[in-house]
Amino acid sequence: MDEQAELLPGSLDLLILKAVSLGKLHGYGVLLRIEQISGGALQIQQGALYPGLYRLEHQGLIASEWGTSENNRRAKYYRLTAAGRRRLGEAAASWNRLAEAMARVLAATPQELG
Amino acid sequence: MIRALIARIRSLWRSLRGHSDLQAEMAEEFRLHVDLRADDLVRDGMSPAEARRQARLEFGSVERYRDEGRASRGLRPFDELRFSWLDVKLSLRMLVRYPGLTVVAGLAIAFGIWAGAGTFEMVTQLLRPTLPLDEGHRIVGIQLRNLETGGVERRALHEFVIWRGELTSVTDLGAFRTLERNLILGDGTGEPTMVAEMSASGFQVARVPPLLGRVLIEADERPDALPVVVIGYDIWQSRFGGDTQVVGRTVHLGSTRHTIVGVMPQGFAFPVSHRVWTPLRAGDPRYGPREGPSVQLFGRLTRGATVEQAQAELTTLGRSTTAESPDTHEFIRPWVMPFAAAMLNIPLGTMRTMTLGVLSTNLVPILLLLLICGNVALLIFARTAAREGELVVRSALGASRRRIVVQLFAEALALGAVGTMVGLAGASFGMRWAFGVVEALQGADLPFWFEPRLSTSTVLYAGVLTVLGAAIAGIVPAIKLTRGVGARLKAATAGGGGPRLGGIWSVVIVSQVAITVLFPAIAFIVREDGNRIPSLDLGFPAQEYVVVRLEMDREPPSTAPGDTSYAAFLARYGAAHQELERRLTDDPAVTGVTFAGRLPRMYHQWNQIEVDEGAIEPPDERGHRVSSAPIDVDYFEVLGTPVAAGRPFTVSDVTSGAQVVIVNTDFVEYVLGGRNPIGRRIRYIATETARTPTSEGPWYEIVGVAPDLGMTSGYGRSGIYHPSAPGDVYPVHMALRVRGDPGSFAPRVREAAMLVDPALRLHDLMPMNEITRADAEFYAFWFWLAVVVSSIALLLSLAGIYAVMSFAVSRRTREIGIRLALGAGSRRVVTAILARPLRQVGLGVLLGGALAGVLIMSIDLYQAGWAARAALFLGYAALMTGVCLLACIVPIRRALGVEPTEALRADA
Repeated sequence: MDEQAELLPGSLDLLILKAVSLGKLHGYGVLLRIEQISGGALQIQQGALYPGLYRLEHQGLIASEWGTSENNRRAKYYRLTAAGRRRLGEAAASWNRLAEAMARVLAATPQELG
Repeated sequence: MIRALIARIRSLWRSLRGHSDLQAEMAEEFRLHVDLRADDLVRDGMSPAEARRQARLEFGSVERYRDEGRASRGLRPFDELRFSWLDVKLSLRMLVRYPGLTVVAGLAIAFGIWAGAGTFEMVTQLLRPTLPLDEGHRIVGIQLRNLETGGVERRALHEFVIWRGELTSVTDLGAFRTLERNLILGDGTGEPTMVAEMSASGFQVARVPPLLGRVLIEADERPDALPVVVIGYDIWQSRFGGDTQVVGRTVHLGSTRHTIVGVMPQGFAFPVSHRVWTPLRAGDPRYGPREGPSVQLFGRLTRGATVEQAQAELTTLGRSTTAESPDTHEFIRPWVMPFAAAMLNIPLGTMRTMTLGVLSTNLVPILLLLLICGNVALLIFARTAAREGELVVRSALGASRRRIVVQLFAEALALGAVGTMVGLAGASFGMRWAFGVVEALQGADLPFWFEPRLSTSTVLYAGVLTVLGAAIAGIVPAIKLTRGVGARLKAATAGGGGPRLGGIWSVVIVSQVAITVLFPAIAFIVREDGNRIPSLDLGFPAQEYVVVRLEMDREPPSTAPGDTSYAAFLARYGAAHQELERRLTDDPAVTGVTFAGRLPRMYHQWNQIEVDEGAIEPPDERGHRVSSAPIDVDYFEVLGTPVAAGRPFTVSDVTSGAQVVIVNTDFVEYVLGGRNPIGRRIRYIATETARTPTSEGPWYEIVGVAPDLGMTSGYGRSGIYHPSAPGDVYPVHMALRVRGDPGSFAPRVREAAMLVDPALRLHDLMPMNEITRADAEFYAFWFWLAVVVSSIALLLSLAGIYAVMSFAVSRRTREIGIRLALGAGSRRVVTAILARPLRQVGLGVLLGGALAGVLIMSIDLYQAGWAARAALFLGYAALMTGVCLLACIVPIRRALGVEPTEALRADA
């Protein structure tokens, strides 16, 4: 089986929020951070990251500012806003509840059902 | 929630504002991403070229993510609404590809814009004029209102002298009165000119520097100052040939000699439409309350002062005048008004109601434009329906419905823009023409703030109207056509279902056919109305006569001051008139001289009369209303129109003061029912100026009957002539019969008048057959306007009918083919396919016919009988039905010409 997992719909936003919550990042940095913290298990179509970033910015969950990249180029850095932090908390809690529930369901054995 | 909404709006605003920045920023971000990735890949051991290729591959489609990125920022709706060059190109191509539609719809929109913009400009200039002067909005008029009579008290010099020292909220208080004076040059030539006798402060209010010399100054107002005059540009050009040494030369104004001290620049006519300015000697003599000549007051609001403050200050000053002179000023109150309203004497109350009127006046052309655009929408609908295949294909290729609607809107806008340009050019031309006609009609220049050109706000207004019109003409059909395109796409047959003309269109079609039928009737009626004025055949050779209105300066000449009473003035006037008549009679080119209070074809005031016996019942409760005119005893003889019955006037009728009159043939017919008038008596019981009926007037005996010489009041042509002598009436119109060209004789009349008395003024000196020229032009304008409107309405409607029929045929070509193939007769096919549009046309003809019928029956067509009117109506209705059916012929022929095999093959 492939080591990499498919992204579930809607989970990209959550990943971006989490990534930028750890410190401000430019677009490519967000990609690397996600790969890094997922241990390379989550692969994203790279360009698809940007519509997601713009959507979150449009919603006021992240904010952007121009800065300088590691190779001395002009780069746009994204950081979490207060609203984004709240949303990340809610979404993470909700995700965890869902994941636990899913895990329980999938781990069920005939014995447990008795 | 709200915070999130604000964040979105802010983000959207930023994106929209920096449209091109946004594109560049996204591109830069993407590039950086790809470069950083490539660097990483190189570090992992790839060759640079390979790394770049791999990085681009991993990133995916830049185009796609850019579009998705814009969508994420909520920009998609705006992207779809945004016009592109492609839209413009497509729209222009459509204009060229359908020239018929372009011409018909473009003309119709041009007409709508012409009417809309023209009305807007006229109404604005009339009610809310901008004074073309420095800080013109701060110039105000001041009136003394008489609360008792509701009128305006113009004898305001007493107030003027006090206020100009005391008012603080109004600086440079000014006063003027208008005088007509002959401006006479050294060579003796003189022409009546509008003179403003104005306080020197008037020039400070206007703030316009002179072109040459100086303006009037306060020292000129002193009683012992030399008489000076400032002349306007036009006079400087026409009378002095633009002489730059004109300052210092002398001219006569009437009988007084003035030194020219300055020339004003072109276009300067402050305070109203004046061409010459002399100082107003307001303090000499010192007039008491409500004494002295009539003047008008104006001033400039002090910087920072408001109209309300000025009003409050004047109210206080007014109160103290009332307290000082309760006899004269109990009911007199000063009012601050907009300058133009004060000069034109528009009451404040009327100003307020007229502001409402502005809105409603502009509403009519707006409705007209909407109606026109409704019709254009129908044409665009029919045309676009024929392009349905294209719409379906574009939809299949991913064009959203909104995108297609925007494109059709752009097409309508292109059409509208062309129409608007033509319409605005027409409005600009029309205004220049209309101003000329109005000036000719009233025989004077329009006030200086009327300018025959379109203001920026009018052009903007026309732009808004265009967008509104294009929205109706383009978006409505587009929405209707694109509805269900997706469904048709799935059904895979473009010709199968297709759009239909629904209920709202039925209303549009029926109403436009009705209008088509109605408009020519309106043109016809305007024409009949115009015919009532003056065919120029007066029963005598009017072209051989020169006419002139004789006026005279009221004051006695400064060289021989004397009696200032009106009786003394009339005596001077009579003597001058007689002397002029004597001199003119001596001229060998003159074969006759006579005069009258009003000449043939001029407007006469009406009088209500009663006859001692023998009068027929008056037509209504307003009684018998007739014109009257005092005339010279030899009037009929000089005009070569001898009395038809009884006797002409004699000199003894005047000298003995006999109460005799001559009536005209219309009087005999309409007042006396054709009975013999000689010996009957009449008297006046009311007049147009004194409307309350009395029966106190003297009785006049009818001694003769004159032919109809065009005495026209608002109530027909019946009239009464009174005998009179020079000096009885002021002013009179003289008529001279001359040999040769009467136009070239005019200068000799002026010469003679100058020799008689420089105070004698000749107005409207012209050949007699030109008396009604301005009126005739005015009516001709309305007639041609009605013709143009009718033609456009007709063209638009016929195009509409044609489009609807063609649409019905093309949509059902396949069905027609099948029917014909199955052996259906042509009549059956026509009824089946075209029944609905034919019904709509029929209903429209009936409706319009009924309205036209009401019009034809209700107006007075030379007293035509009912039978004649009914025949006229039936003939007209038949004609219009024929014209409407004509538009149906081509589509019907096309329907019948459908080849079954072709139709089935083509539309599969």
